[in-house]
Amino acid sequence: MNANAEEQELKDRLSLIESMIAEGRRSTESWGWTFVLWGVAYYVAIAWSTWGRAAFAWPVTMIAASVLTGVLASRRAAKHPETTIGRAMMAIWVGMGISTFILMFSLGISGRIDLHIGVAIVGAMLGAANATSSIILKWKMQFACALVWWTAGAVSCFISENQAGIVFLAAIFFCQIVFGIYGMISESRRHRQDASHA
Amino acid sequence: MPELPELNPVIHGKLRLALLALLAGVEEAEFTWLRARTGSTDGNLGAQLLKLEEAGYVAVEKKFVQRKPQTLYRMTEAGRQALTSYVQALKQLLGAAIGA
Repeated sequence: MNANAEEQELKDRLSLIESMIAEGRRSTESWGWTFVLWGVAYYVAIAWSTWGRAAFAWPVTMIAASVLTGVLASRRAAKHPETTIGRAMMAIWVGMGISTFILMFSLGISGRIDLHIGVAIVGAMLGAANATSSIILKWKMQFACALVWWTAGAVSCFISENQAGIVFLAAIFFCQIVFGIYGMISESRRHRQDASHA
Repeated sequence: MPELPELNPVIHGKLRLALLALLAGVEEAEFTWLRARTGSTDGNLGAQLLKLEEAGYVAVEKKFVQRKPQTLYRMTEAGRQALTSYVQALKQLLGAAIGA
């Protein structure tokens, strides 16, 4: 083998390593659907608590959404390998979910909750989780969602209950539904590009 | 003239190198996923993974998920070190080839 061919083979090995590492990393990043699912769950809980039995609306809807997320995520996990980033994402969102659930449930039972406090807590929690995720994933759009949630949480402390409700509905629409759909579209675009490059 | 490093023959095989690099990017991966990413046959993939396992570069875990058998592969610390050393050796050799 001459020197040029040998050099080319070594270069090929290096590019093979780079492409395989990238392949492993990019195949698991699909989060958009979870935002849409939870956005819909929030709307169901709000509608149920407004027009139905308020006491059961939030706990039942949140538990149902958690179970559904777990089932769908485990189905996806069977097709994709686990990554450190994936585990970090799961840790952030599960931790945030459990904290919010315990806090809201305790405040609900003790009767010390109202819409201002509810929106402030949810805004702060979702703001923190979105900000942390966006820094790990280097996703600027998600950081914008964190800013919206933080703003909604802070603003709800200074406005009327009805206004706080409207702020909450708007934040869910932009940060869950719109952002989730945007995430799903950009993920499917990326998967199509990956498939055409493969 | 400094001595040029030798490339680790266990890693140098193209499929074995691809497998180690794939496992470097994930926590663990299933056999079927590795097969899809490398485009290799079951027999060849199994044989190459066995060589990596025997060298201590990958660890295997077999389990049942929803009654279906699942074989998971994970890169070991020795595998990570071997891949790092391989890349360093490769760069050194390339540097020498370009400088020659």
